[in-house]
Amino acid sequence: AAEPWPENAALYQQLKEEQILLSDNASSLAVQAFLQMCNLPVRVVCRANAEYMSPSGKVPFIHVGNQVVSELGPIVQFVKAKGHSLSDGLDEVQKAEMKAYMELVNNMLLTAELYLQWCDDVTVEEITHPRYGSPYPWPLNRILSYQKQWEIRRKMKAIGWAGKSLEQVLEDVDQCCQALSQRLGTQPYFFNKHPTELDALVFGHLFTILTTQLTSDELCEKVKNYSNLIAFCRCIEQQYFEGHDKDSSSSATSRAAKRSLLR
Amino acid sequence: SATFQAYAKFTGAPLTVNAINKSWKAPKGEVPVLISEDAVISQPAKILNFLRKQKYNADYELSAKQGADTLAYIALLEEKLLPALLHTFWVEAENYCSVTKPWFASRIPFPLSLYLPGRMSREALNRILLTRGGPPLYSLTEVEAQIYRDAKECLNLLSKRLGTSQFFFGNTPSTLDAFVFGFLAPLYKVCFPRVQLQEHLKQLPNLCRFCDDILSFYFRLGVSGHSPAGQDSVDANLQKLTQLVNKESNLIEKMDDNLRKSPQHPPRKLTTLKLAAGGEESNLPSRLSP
Repeated sequence: AAEPWPENAALYQQLKEEQILLSDNASSLAVQAFLQMCNLPVRVVCRANAEYMSPSGKVPFIHVGNQVVSELGPIVQFVKAKGHSLSDGLDEVQKAEMKAYMELVNNMLLTAELYLQWCDDVTVEEITHPRYGSPYPWPLNRILSYQKQWEIRRKMKAIGWAGKSLEQVLEDVDQCCQALSQRLGTQPYFFNKHPTELDALVFGHLFTILTTQLTSDELCEKVKNYSNLIAFCRCIEQQYFEGHDKDSSSSATSRAAKRSLLR
Repeated sequence: SATFQAYAKFTGAPLTVNAINKSWKAPKGEVPVLISEDAVISQPAKILNFLRKQKYNADYELSAKQGADTLAYIALLEEKLLPALLHTFWVEAENYCSVTKPWFASRIPFPLSLYLPGRMSREALNRILLTRGGPPLYSLTEVEAQIYRDAKECLNLLSKRLGTSQFFFGNTPSTLDAFVFGFLAPLYKVCFPRVQLQEHLKQLPNLCRFCDDILSFYFRLGVSGHSPAGQDSVDANLQKLTQLVNKESNLIEKMDDNLRKSPQHPPRKLTTLKLAAGGEESNLPSRLSP
């Protein structure tokens, strides 16, 4: 039996216009898409210290009743415990496949986004540093920014991405998109008729990449090579996001504006 | 590196295994390293790409979707299974001290044997903590518990995906099979004191059968072939090479016997004789007669 979903469920992320970065935006959008697909309403609340409020240090996190859960994986499980699930209709092999593809997105797309925004010097200087610490006064903004950069670079080094060049990272993104495109084929969703958390995750990342302006268009171009992925993003946006949240309406139009720029 | 050897076996690529016993000699300090003509390639994905470009492609028969699935499952292995494997081999104190370190140290020369295993152990722990540690997991035991949970789930998923087929995509092995084998074989075969993941694996009969099949078809190692160290397939290959060399040396010895009467033929010439074994034998009697 499904437990009632409280009306005041909230999703916390950083400030949308000034602060949030590519990777966090993608993760947040993925969770929003997932909750929309489950028909669970949630308010998006923007706070400058969202990252520090989160139990795992990562955004987004949701506050439902008196529980706080962060990141897509745990949120999916939490929602399932409440009686809602998108992947119940899948058989065991399909579930294995879904999990594998979700890891692929995390492994390649998310890591590439993190690389781009923290290890590519141009992007770091022009976009990341100004945005990341923007709600805070100098010198705190710089300190926080450098601290985070150091942390991310350590992680990149541990997994072997520190030695990669930007071209190689973009190659990986291309490979990942190619795999997603091949898997999606001509279907509306990855598992044919109904969306699953995989669709939410892919949408979150691809849509953010397509609609965020960076120092160069290279990342965006990689995704645009695959028309079925673009169609997939448009379809999900139309079905789940248009006319839903009032507080995201301004960003929806700014997104639409960006998209028309890219057309 | 069991992955590449398996891949090479599947595709018939002529791959000579040089047990690199000096990791720092490997061009960029990373193993495994593929050295072909003048190209030196060190990262796993690049090595596979190189083999593919040389037309040793195990994925020829796969459809586009299966190719995509391969990438996805490899990502799953790296995210969910690798941390636990690293932990089992390099971080778990009993395993490391009684199995991994002695074996590794025996293969590399002193004084590197003092330093290198320790470094690899530290790097493994570092990688685990950086990628999987962090809130809300605050202690190493919590991280360990989580990574083993993930690894067991990953093994279960692999088992479900494999089902009753012989390989992951039908009846011929592919890159994914090489990767899975590369990850599972050491776990399956090495005798560790602390074996929770190994025991979990043994409860999944289709995965065990998968490893045994590949080992027996492609590496000619009997199912009961336990070796007290990891990298069984390296040993197996070395054994094979040794056998081949032995066979050839037997042949040489035979010819040697024939030539013993004329000591002015230095052993070096035997190699040319060996290469053109058929044609030259008829010349032997003429050379023998002084």
